[in-house]
Amino acid sequence: MPLTLGLLLSLSFVVSLAALAFLIWAISNRQITVDQGDAETIFRDGEQGHIDNQGTEHGDAKMRYHFDPVRAGIDAVSARPVIVLLGTATVWLVLGSIFGVMASLKLHWPDWLNQSAPLTFGRMRTLHLNLVIYGWLSLSGLATVMWITPRIFHVPLKSPRLVLVGAVLWNIAVALGGLAIASGWTDGEEWLEIPWQIDMLLAVAGACFIAPLVRTTRARDVHHIYVSGWYFLAAILWFPVLFVVANIPGLHSGVEEATVNWWFAHNVLGLWLTPLGVGTAYYLIPKIIGRPIYSYAVSLLGFWGLALFYSQVGIHHLIGGPVPTWVVTLSVVHSVMMFLPVIAVAINQHVTVAQNLWALKESVPLRFISFGALMYTMASFQGSIEALRSVNSITHFTHYTVAHAHLGAYAFVSLVMFGSAYYILPRATGRAFPWPGLLKLHFWLVVIGFGIYFFSLTIGGVLQGLSMLDATRPFSESVELMKPYLEARSVGGTLMTFGHLVFALNLLGLAFYASTRAQNTVAAE
Amino acid sequence: MNRYLPLSILALAILAFATLMLVIAPGMQINSRPAPEGLTPYSEAEQRGRETYVSLGCLYCHSQQPRSGDQAPDGERGWGRASVAADYTYDQPHQLGTMRTGPDLLNVGARLPSEGWHLTHLYQPRAIFDWSIMPAYPYLFDEKPQAGPGDVVVALPAEYAPQDGVVVATQQALDLTAYLQSLDRTYEVPADGLRDHGYGTPDGPEPTPSEEER
Amino acid sequence: MARKSKHSRPDEAFEPYEEHAGVPMPVNWVAIALTIWGTAMLYDTGESVQESLQDRAEDSDVVAQSVPDEGTLLFGANCATCHQPDGRGLRDAVPPLAGSEIVAAGPDIVSRILLRGIDGPLTVVGQDFDGHMPSFDSALNDAEIAELASYVTTRWADTTEATAQTSEEVASLRAEIGDRGSFGGGAELAMMISSLPDQPPMPARSHVQAGDQAARDLVFAGRDQVWSCASCHGDLGQGDESTPRLAGLPGAYIVKQLQNFREGTRENESMQLVVQGLSDPEMTALGAYYTDLRVPSTARPVLSGDLKRGEQLALQGDWSIGVPACFTCHGPSGFGVAPNFPGLSAQHAPYLAAQLANWVGGQRHNDALGLMAQISEALSTQDRRAVADYLASLPPVPAGGASMARMETQDDQ
Repeated sequence: MPLTLGLLLSLSFVVSLAALAFLIWAISNRQITVDQGDAETIFRDGEQGHIDNQGTEHGDAKMRYHFDPVRAGIDAVSARPVIVLLGTATVWLVLGSIFGVMASLKLHWPDWLNQSAPLTFGRMRTLHLNLVIYGWLSLSGLATVMWITPRIFHVPLKSPRLVLVGAVLWNIAVALGGLAIASGWTDGEEWLEIPWQIDMLLAVAGACFIAPLVRTTRARDVHHIYVSGWYFLAAILWFPVLFVVANIPGLHSGVEEATVNWWFAHNVLGLWLTPLGVGTAYYLIPKIIGRPIYSYAVSLLGFWGLALFYSQVGIHHLIGGPVPTWVVTLSVVHSVMMFLPVIAVAINQHVTVAQNLWALKESVPLRFISFGALMYTMASFQGSIEALRSVNSITHFTHYTVAHAHLGAYAFVSLVMFGSAYYILPRATGRAFPWPGLLKLHFWLVVIGFGIYFFSLTIGGVLQGLSMLDATRPFSESVELMKPYLEARSVGGTLMTFGHLVFALNLLGLAFYASTRAQNTVAAE
Repeated sequence: MNRYLPLSILALAILAFATLMLVIAPGMQINSRPAPEGLTPYSEAEQRGRETYVSLGCLYCHSQQPRSGDQAPDGERGWGRASVAADYTYDQPHQLGTMRTGPDLLNVGARLPSEGWHLTHLYQPRAIFDWSIMPAYPYLFDEKPQAGPGDVVVALPAEYAPQDGVVVATQQALDLTAYLQSLDRTYEVPADGLRDHGYGTPDGPEPTPSEEER
Repeated sequence: MARKSKHSRPDEAFEPYEEHAGVPMPVNWVAIALTIWGTAMLYDTGESVQESLQDRAEDSDVVAQSVPDEGTLLFGANCATCHQPDGRGLRDAVPPLAGSEIVAAGPDIVSRILLRGIDGPLTVVGQDFDGHMPSFDSALNDAEIAELASYVTTRWADTTEATAQTSEEVASLRAEIGDRGSFGGGAELAMMISSLPDQPPMPARSHVQAGDQAARDLVFAGRDQVWSCASCHGDLGQGDESTPRLAGLPGAYIVKQLQNFREGTRENESMQLVVQGLSDPEMTALGAYYTDLRVPSTARPVLSGDLKRGEQLALQGDWSIGVPACFTCHGPSGFGVAPNFPGLSAQHAPYLAAQLANWVGGQRHNDALGLMAQISEALSTQDRRAVADYLASLPPVPAGGASMARMETQDDQ
């Protein structure tokens, strides 16, 4: 028995390593880069002053990296679905964060709003998670995908109506899921609470997004697929597979169900939200700054590294638990291997930003996005270290993990999405935000709020974990010492929620108070 | 990269490989272990109670997976021996949990077998633990002027008891308590039970260097 | 490359693209380092898993079937603290094995006594004893009982008959005995052994008079504000995990703990709530009730403690860390010494380890001299587990253990 398990374990690691080695070899031998041609040096100074180029002239080398999606009529097609997706996402964001604050308050005011079951902590927290993941992050991510993909493929979005249908169905499913959870109807596993009957509706809605995206890809008018495209295309395929396999009713039970649960839950982060966030940053950072990404080879390393390693990290949520040792070790090793793709993405994105710090001053969306990208690096490094057995013994089962989850899902993905919404919406509507100051207010509210949130829970979580590991300290101590940190978390969470209200206000302002101006003047807002 | 099909196929193949390693292989290994002799399936009332446990989201604060003594002092806290995969044979959905805002509950029925204690604690945790941050669940109980036949009256200290009348448990509370009482995995399991054995046993008892003389 | 000032914004038509720099060398180094680390990690985990599995298997071997051919070891661990290593017993307290008419009756009787225990007066080698022998039914397995019975008869019985006992025979004895409880003193033994000298009659059991009805109500029904004792400590006072076994603890000790909960020198939220509703006479009645309960052990080692080390601490202590033997104060075999020293044998390991931890952490500080805090602080986490596991593996306090212990202290003085 140990022999076969050892074999399995080494097999997986060897496969990942072999793939990685092949990738590095191929990159260093330029096997993969051939199709790009050798012309890039010519365009180093060519990134400005070519407003007049139209469409997709491959023939004209100088125009190669200039493409006007507005004149090509591309944005006009995707505008409506994108506005609907972003608008509804914002509704879920506001609702979700209000539930989050309520859940947070309940942890230090346990007798507040205690008189009915839907208001209990267990349901408030679950509502918060599901609304922000499936409502806010997924919908805003999809909006970004629907906006960027046609732009990098130089072709208008295919079947935009189908996307609209998908958006409507998805919103109905999220709303039903929320109602189900509030009323106590749940599948009962973290990240998979929405009953599978409603999940079927979500799956149908998801299919309405896949088809247009695949059609757009097939109809593309460029040869090369830009790096954002890889992330988006892979994510849009990965997520449905994950979602369907994990939700098949009656198939899973006992501890096997737990491994499915965390395989799914971590992959939602790693193979769905992360590619959406990274892909968005990969497009918008160079787009806003006007400088290219540092290295194509590093992009490749980052993308395939993510696919190889991130897909196998999920079981680090069960370290020290009733699952086979080898599968835990497998996830621990792959978690640490995540350093590699994260460093790759960091090189590509942060180098570009660091060489152009001036742009952060001028562009609020870039501020959101590059802060988010930085947080991706932080969250991943933290996650790799957290997966080490020795560290995990302290942090597992504590609020440290909650802080980490918010570093990934909030400080990284959400902030990138805020930035992309601020970048996209003026272009999709042709209007400018009426109160530019509120964009900055939003930024500082969520950044300061998140800082309070993160540091209080991180410090408190470590103290909580150390206390629980010491048999001579009663369990009550771990609860009591957390209380001030939980209160600080509520303060941070409230600030973030205010930020979200400001965000919603900005969107409302854009919808009802904004003057219609030429969109070029709003470019950097 | 410039071709869509190879990209998607490779991406899906990697995910399929991960699924094989993380879901299918361990799943087969887990399912090959028989249920322990000491473990009985949940009764109907316990199963109903379990559904209440799930729907109220107890999972988000209470884990059900004691760790081994090599890793953490869960044993000393009365949370039970390190659990193995077969302990969860009848659990669906699983409730292993990832938080210990409250204590681990896999063996709460062994260390706290009292129905009365659980009813008091569910009605108002702070009646027992003044430091507790667990929600109270008053909606699982009825207040009555006096107990009828068959009513289970909740024992309450004066400051939490109603002015007049009594608090009686609803069937839902009784079922939930039955489930909590059924959480008892203290039977013996084989030493090579399926679990994460990745924390090595410390090298025997090291004598603590202590200068203190009596 | 950064442009200094007055940066012109990129035009809307700029399209992001990637330059063609190679992978920086440090990234390759990181990749190599991670690969090496990953391989080492896999190798290391494989090793330690093997080791810890082996350790666990060995641990459970110690519990399940320790050294079947070493009767001396078994005797030393289970019998010698009372019957003395030379089998001469203790005057007025523990009957001798050497020259005993009962041992002479053969291994079959010895096995029966090991399985059932004795509870009642008996006469051995002309001396009267207030017999209180624990049952080893839960503490030893068939092979061990057989080994011990063979050892005792071979060593002390003045007989030429077969003295060997097999574990199969013990198994069938076990089945035959079922839950018949302890032997009713010498009187019941005499019914099985014709050669026994005259035995004192079995007195009527005073405590079986249903005790104090009020105490029974408290134990089984509780009252408005508090739960019943039995609802947590079990119908027989047997406890589990971190809830202690109460059966057989000295009555005065139980009363003192209840008072300490009330005074706050011992902390436990549930018990502190319970004692609010108890009067002093009720506490006394509860103490009397539990001290007379006799229940087979339900405890076993569950903390993966080192049983050898636990035995050492319990029997000899460890003076290198300033820890005296547990049994110095808590009586031979850890059966307790009334009124102040509770029985430890057959107590649940998690409870024992938790109490030791509580002395260290200060949640418990209710002993007169602060002795337990001192001892507990000297013990490492592993030591606390070891001694708790060892004590849990011992047979329970024999019936009326408190009175036996009291007699012994008088004897010492």
